[in-house]
Amino acid sequence: MPETVNQTSLLAAKSLHKSYRMGGQPLEVLRGVDIQVEAGEWVAVLGASGSGKSTLLHLLGGLDRPTEGSVSFEGRDVFAMGGKAVDRYRNRKVGFVFQSYHLLPELSALENIAIAAMVGQSVLGWIGARSECRRRAAELLDRLGLAARAKHRPAKLSGGERQRVAIGRALINQPAVLLADEPTGNLDAKTGEQILDILRGLHRDGQSIVMVTHDSKVAAAADRRLTLDGGRTRG
Amino acid sequence: MYKLLLIQKYLRRKLAPMFAALAVTLCTAMVIIVISVMGGFLDMMRGSAKSITGDVTIFASFTGFPHYESLIDDLDALPEVQAATAFIAAPGMIKYGRDQVYVVREVLGIDPVGLDAVTRYSDAFYWTQQHLNPDGDIPAELVPDPEELAMHFNPPAHWTQGNSHIRGIVPGIKVYPWNIPDDSGQYHLHGSQLGRTVTLTMPRITTTGGVLEPAVRDFIIVNEFKSGLHDVDASRSYVPFKLLQEMLNMDAAEEADPETGEPTGRTIPARATGVVIRGAPGVPLDSLNEAVTAARDNLQHQHPDMPPTNVMTWEDIHAPLLNAVQNEKGLITFLFVFISLVAVVMVATTFSMIVFEKTRDIGVLRSIGASRWGVANIFVGYGLVIGIIGAAAGLTLAVGIVYNLNELQDLLDAWFGWRMWNPQTYYFDQIPERVDPLEAGLIALGAVLSSVMGGLIPALLAARLDPVESLRYE
Ligand SMILES: Nc1ncnc2c1ncn2[C@@H]1O[C@H](COP(=O)(O)OP(=O)(O)OP(=O)(O)O)[C@@H](O)[C@H]1O
Ligand SMILES: [Mg+2]
Repeated sequence: MPETVNQTSLLAAKSLHKSYRMGGQPLEVLRGVDIQVEAGEWVAVLGASGSGKSTLLHLLGGLDRPTEGSVSFEGRDVFAMGGKAVDRYRNRKVGFVFQSYHLLPELSALENIAIAAMVGQSVLGWIGARSECRRRAAELLDRLGLAARAKHRPAKLSGGERQRVAIGRALINQPAVLLADEPTGNLDAKTGEQILDILRGLHRDGQSIVMVTHDSKVAAAADRRLTLDGGRTRG
Repeated sequence: MYKLLLIQKYLRRKLAPMFAALAVTLCTAMVIIVISVMGGFLDMMRGSAKSITGDVTIFASFTGFPHYESLIDDLDALPEVQAATAFIAAPGMIKYGRDQVYVVREVLGIDPVGLDAVTRYSDAFYWTQQHLNPDGDIPAELVPDPEELAMHFNPPAHWTQGNSHIRGIVPGIKVYPWNIPDDSGQYHLHGSQLGRTVTLTMPRITTTGGVLEPAVRDFIIVNEFKSGLHDVDASRSYVPFKLLQEMLNMDAAEEADPETGEPTGRTIPARATGVVIRGAPGVPLDSLNEAVTAARDNLQHQHPDMPPTNVMTWEDIHAPLLNAVQNEKGLITFLFVFISLVAVVMVATTFSMIVFEKTRDIGVLRSIGASRWGVANIFVGYGLVIGIIGAAAGLTLAVGIVYNLNELQDLLDAWFGWRMWNPQTYYFDQIPERVDPLEAGLIALGAVLSSVMGGLIPALLAARLDPVESLRYE
């Protein structure tokens, strides 16, 4: 494929700065991070605990605002868009997977997946989209090997099952990029491997993934590895 | 859409919001019950006041006014007037037995048929034929019918013991103080003076206020009346109009020269002290009042020497009492509404707790694209649902209680020997059982709005949460 001059990355961060104010003096977590993720690529971000990996992921996903710098998606500056557009960006374009799953305890596995589709719909829209969403949620459950668990609430599920539901939730809106924050961090080696297998499968089907981890063995599954250190990335 | 799902889930899984809904229920029910009972009480008093007073009354002083017959003719000709009748009101003393004398502030001389057309005179009669023949074992024609007796003031022969001149009197049921109702507010024949002879003594004055010998006359109690207004029932007795007019020297008479005592050949016209008027159906009280006042002014114009008279509506007459009850209703309702703010605080507290408990979930919702206002709406909607559930339950509870208050009271009486409504105090035998749909609807609406208000602060709390912090929150 011939490279064109103004080809843009799927997701790009430019000189991202993020600092927190801790008792008067600022704590600089990110000090100019640059990162590009191309469509279909799987990028792993490595780094010690406290290096700012989660912070970076939150910024990429539009969940938090950088102190300086920009995040652009398909060439458009995410934070230059209005608040509503950022909400829509989180809903449609990215899918978060967290270390501790973060499922809603009142909802069943199926509902936990479907709710991400519901968020983007008005009541009327939902009436039209309902059966299609339910079908997609059920299909995802099936693909994640959880068909029999559809009606179970998170409390009844194992860690690996919960993380699979969380992946289903992240995928239901067919996001351009999956943002996974230590997806195997709370799981034993074998279950973690199962989750990685799922991510491998998704990647094979063309899913772009940004995965954060402090474990280089996990990071080995990715196409490309970056290390966060001292608030900057090393390639 | 996800909001509805979550509201529904939170409702199903949580005990706390049910308590908030319960608080809304109880407060709604409380205010509706209070406003209904007070309103019912006020309605009953207004009803009694209106039915005992007629719509509009023309009052003269104690010495009365002449030409009342032509005034009544004029009034009857008015389209606004349905019926009008004259009366004489004068103070008297009533003697029971040998030595019990009580003041009757208003001995009212009336034409029973005329008065019945204006006020609901006969509706207030207490004793019926049934009281005299409770088992129905005496042939009806042998039993006097007190309701009929009170319509013509003629006691049956076996009550008068041959004195055919003696006429009937209808005192208020409270005029004789020993006439005491039982716990349920019912009067009994054995405590009553029905059929007994009483002596009425009435002070008399001339038209110019000169003192005359008092008029003294025996009457037989042919019935007693109970209007529902304690004051009226304790201070009023009805006697025949013509008879009272004669007793008080208010009937037509030959004028005598005050010096020589010789007749002057002129007649002094008969006098009454007032006229009660009932408006034609649908005529507003104000229009009736105006029409009556105009007729009165017209009469005054024709007879410039007429003593002054006063035109009053039934509302004017009873204003001191009715306004007091009305104010009381307003005040008590205000107090209970104020107390009901507790429910708002309950909702706010419950929801704030839920927001704290759900902080992480709120972060999760934001991460899957929910907006600040979307998250806030969950709690506003939650407040709305709690409010609707609470208000609907409160409305149902209140209606259930109000329409069964008397049964409830009987139960409480049977179980604990406690009566919340003592007919001897409140004077109506029954607790009013009525709910004004408009009032109740407004209160329920207020409850829903308060509940939404209670959800508002937690909603703002939820909207202000930083999603990243929320996700870190454990
Ligand atoms: N709201 C905040 N206020 C102050 N400091 C914060 C805040 N959020 C994060 N930090 C700090 O920022 C730094 C980076 O945090 P972050 O969670 O991104 O690290 P991490 O690389 O994901 O660590 P871990 O591997 O333990 O998850 C940490 O030192 C953390 O204490
Ligand atoms: Mg982290």
